[in-house]
Amino acid sequence: MIDPPTGGPAARTGRRAYLLGGLAAVVALAVGVAIGLLVPSSRPGDGSAEAGFARDMQTHHAQAVEMSMIAYRRSADPEIQTIGLDVALTQQAQIGTMRDWLDQWQLPPTGSRPAMAWMPGHTLTADGRMPGMASRQELDRLRAATGRDLDILYSQMMIRHHLGGIMMAEEVLRRSDRAEVRSVAESMKASQQNEITAFMAVLARNGAKPS
Amino acid sequence: MAKPNRSGARPKPRRPVAKAVAGGRSPALIATFVAVGVLAVAIIGYAIYAVTRGDGGQPAGTNIAGLTNYRASDPKMLTRNHVRGAVAYPVSPPVGGDHNPIWQDCIGDVYPAAIANENAVHSLEHGAVWITYRPDLPADQIETLAGKVRGTPYLFMSPFPGLDRPISLQAWGYQLKLDTATDPRVDQFIKDFRIKAAPEPGAPCSNGVTATGTTPHNTPGG
Repeated sequence: MIDPPTGGPAARTGRRAYLLGGLAAVVALAVGVAIGLLVPSSRPGDGSAEAGFARDMQTHHAQAVEMSMIAYRRSADPEIQTIGLDVALTQQAQIGTMRDWLDQWQLPPTGSRPAMAWMPGHTLTADGRMPGMASRQELDRLRAATGRDLDILYSQMMIRHHLGGIMMAEEVLRRSDRAEVRSVAESMKASQQNEITAFMAVLARNGAKPS
Repeated sequence: MAKPNRSGARPKPRRPVAKAVAGGRSPALIATFVAVGVLAVAIIGYAIYAVTRGDGGQPAGTNIAGLTNYRASDPKMLTRNHVRGAVAYPVSPPVGGDHNPIWQDCIGDVYPAAIANENAVHSLEHGAVWITYRPDLPADQIETLAGKVRGTPYLFMSPFPGLDRPISLQAWGYQLKLDTATDPRVDQFIKDFRIKAAPEPGAPCSNGVTATGTTPHNTPGG
């Protein structure tokens, strides 16, 4: 018996076999994708250096934004107004970036461990401040200052603040190999170092020194 | 029709593969295929569900024991207009609604006296958790709470005369009343709602009203 070339029972058998094979392959692929989506890829954990950096740097940045908005609004010096605007907008945007990381990593904005627990060997000050951060009294002084005093005080406080921020960035660079974290930390380091140089120049111009 | 083979028996006609899979020769084979099929569908279905469900717009934490979820029970209360002057909030302390254009400074501020509801509600809109306590709360418990708040953006605390429980925690649309500062639900509320409960994410807590007093303030600072 000669099999008909197309359309006969044997050909339909062959086509069905291909269809089922194809279907099985698609199902296997879908299952593979599903398992890939369900199994957590390498996300930093709640106690990781990345999570600690993301949370603590938001706090650190929030104070730089606070101080810079005071300076931007109240200084009569165009250079201070510009730096204030720059720091406030840049660091507020970086806060957003770090907030988004935590969302992507499915971690809450508030960790279970104290601030700076991810930086062994470093501690908060006695009244709970991170490196370089100003006290409430210092902030009150900044709010009350005017003219040259304001410019000097803001520059002095920001130099200390940036030194602390640079240290935190360096700490996460020591501990993380995640590309997005390293890239932002490097960028923070570089721009804060530049800003320190600018603040030093403002102090020199005003006949003052870092505190 | 197949040719008879050498032994004379006619071989069984080759059945289409489909029949062999679906209804074919071996119940064990069918069972295996069905089980694998069900498992595959279950995995794919769960993955689709897990990936697409999102938050539903609610932060986690809506299952903390004792929590009042005003987003669920009274969403119409949670208006967001800027108004000057006093606002009569139906909930005390308030958890949302119209508020003053200036927020209360909430960058870890521990206020020594009662503050204005209308400024505080704006801070809730920015994602801050507002811890209030009855003025007769023991000093060591006040300090326990202050230790959590101090220096942490998106947290602030103040005494609230007339509070009907020793402690009340507020986030936008959520309230939890407690009796002691060491209740683990304090940390749970903060973890679940600080920043996450903001209907206006990204808004700052600094440069707000730093003054106390329950009359709404229309300028920042003290």
